[in-house]
Amino acid sequence: MKEMVDQIRVRLRDQKIDVSNEDIESRLKKLIVDFRVPEGEARRSVLNYFLKEHGIMPVARASSEKVKIEDIKEAGRWVDLEIKVLDLWEPASGSISQTGLVGDGTGSLKFVKWTKSELPDLELGKSYILRRVVTDEFQGRFSVKLNKTSQIEPLETDVEARSAGRASAEPVRVVEINEPGRWVDLEVKVAQLWETNSESISQSGLVGDETGTIKFVKWAKAELPNLEEGKSYRLSNLVTDEFQGRFSVKLNKTSQIQPLDCDIAIGSVASEFSGALVDLQKGSGLIKRCPVCKRSLAKGVCTEHGKVEGTYDLRIKAVLDDGRRVQDVLINRETTERLVDITLEQAKQMAMEALDHEVVRSMIEGKMMGRYYTVTGPRVDRYLLVESINEMPAVSAAQVEDLLTSLEVA
Amino acid sequence: MAGMTGFSREVARRIFAEELKSSNYSFRDGEDQHQYAPSYLLTPTGAKCNRVFLVGTLIEKDDIGGDTEYWRGRVVDPTGSILIYAGQYQPEAAQILAGLETPCFVAVVGKPNLYQTDDGNIIISLRAESISQANESTRNQWILDTARRTLERLSDLSQVRVPPPGEDFTTADSMPAEASSSAAMDAERAMQHYHVDIEHFRQMTIRALSALKSDLSGGAFAEEARPVNAAPVWPEAEPAGKEDSPASSRKGGNKKAASPGWPASDDVEEIETINIKKKS
Repeated sequence: MKEMVDQIRVRLRDQKIDVSNEDIESRLKKLIVDFRVPEGEARRSVLNYFLKEHGIMPVARASSEKVKIEDIKEAGRWVDLEIKVLDLWEPASGSISQTGLVGDGTGSLKFVKWTKSELPDLELGKSYILRRVVTDEFQGRFSVKLNKTSQIEPLETDVEARSAGRASAEPVRVVEINEPGRWVDLEVKVAQLWETNSESISQSGLVGDETGTIKFVKWAKAELPNLEEGKSYRLSNLVTDEFQGRFSVKLNKTSQIQPLDCDIAIGSVASEFSGALVDLQKGSGLIKRCPVCKRSLAKGVCTEHGKVEGTYDLRIKAVLDDGRRVQDVLINRETTERLVDITLEQAKQMAMEALDHEVVRSMIEGKMMGRYYTVTGPRVDRYLLVESINEMPAVSAAQVEDLLTSLEVA
Repeated sequence: MAGMTGFSREVARRIFAEELKSSNYSFRDGEDQHQYAPSYLLTPTGAKCNRVFLVGTLIEKDDIGGDTEYWRGRVVDPTGSILIYAGQYQPEAAQILAGLETPCFVAVVGKPNLYQTDDGNIIISLRAESISQANESTRNQWILDTARRTLERLSDLSQVRVPPPGEDFTTADSMPAEASSSAAMDAERAMQHYHVDIEHFRQMTIRALSALKSDLSGGAFAEEARPVNAAPVWPEAEPAGKEDSPASSRKGGNKKAASPGWPASDDVEEIETINIKKKS
């Protein structure tokens, strides 16, 4: 403690500020003892406190130190970094002006530049020194935030960053992708290509392997060859991303595409979800489908084939919710018939008598709404295609007892 | 990240009635807070809710509307009660509520609504999106479910570090709105606003679970007794059915009967409203 007090006094004296040892010590103690502030943080805070008291903005002396990316091991540290911009992503919020990936020789991490920082934009592939950026952590992954006090200086020299990114990419299966910001290699077949709606995207669609499918985005700036639908490829050095609980992979400048001779079969691994049924959506119950493409009709019209004579079907579109996440589920005719104990013929009869298709949906709603279910089946885009559905078992006294015990111990 | 976009469905949060009722902080999300931005209620344990899922016992229902039907119901869980509303804009829910016979178990999905009376009291209610009759099994699952979610939030709350006073300028740039995860952010916000007594809500959860435990072990007796006993919890059973503000008629209303089905009800005097002057 004595040592810290002296250090602070010396630093204050540099600024021609005289503060008594007692004042410094009592403030330090308050932070460290009463509020359990780590010593380094406390020292910085106390120093800044007295500087501010005497009208000196601490910015000039903010104790950021130059580090390498691999040295970043805690959140809330102020650091300087020499980096290259490896990737730029679409900011998810107006409060963020730029976000993406930066790297140096030792690794790469996500950066976030706040709109309020009013800093100039970083350019893809350029190297910079970022001064006084603050580290952050989410689920064990680090990032840096650029705020008002940060500075950006372009570098003449090129920061070597590619190698690290590539080295950390690992071959994975689609189903294993469960966190954003990971570098991965995939062997996949292109299942679908979609119209792109942005000039910055050269291609997007669905790719899949035996374990499932995932959305991909290939940036225009990546300058990579085009993928063809139905062909299989080895895609290396992709970065994973997440939006509203759904994952995707992005192909950027550092990624590579290699056509494969073999054909990869797209399959799916069943996933499971348990929760309360909180919505039974429109388009559930008795519906008509287009005889050509099987899409459901809206007022007798197929979006693809126009006005057609539809065929009847029975299905459920619903939302399960476990209080943390929502899951859209689709239940086909067979399962629906079994679940609500009605056949397609009976449903047609019901609708005929009421002169309204909606009665079938209302009936299903009455039976299922608010109940707890566990469903399993493959996930396709935002839907879980239900293969099995069961009501969750009744709560047992033992379950309650267990939770109570853990509560009373805690 | 949820809530930043209009097209992702909001999760239905699980909150016990006592906690829901003691909430007094609502806000619109998004940068410019325009009128179409989703609105949220932040509960004391840090549940940021735009939607709530509740299963309990419907003990009263009244049509409080004038020319058009406007239904109000009171739903109780082991910790307290909450009012639900369904009118012409929730026709399906209103129709179902109208047809239910009290008491019965109901499952409600609804949007929380904060109403401030002229004298500064705050009343939290739910505008029902859907109401359905439920069974006891679902009600039990909900209590366990809600206890678990509540404990998760309490655990997030216990991680919140209150910044020491006078240090604000060092953290001003890493504003609280930029905490690392949304749950942690909500916890931090709740802590700042409510100065949450974590122990209080831990005890609330214990009471709810204990009630469930005695229900489960009480067997046939509890099974039979609950619906009957649920009514005396609110002995004054809404004589002025047309009154819109429940605050005045409820204030100071206390519970006479401690029913075995709801052991929580005898240890606190039920106060329907929270005075925000005390809170802030």
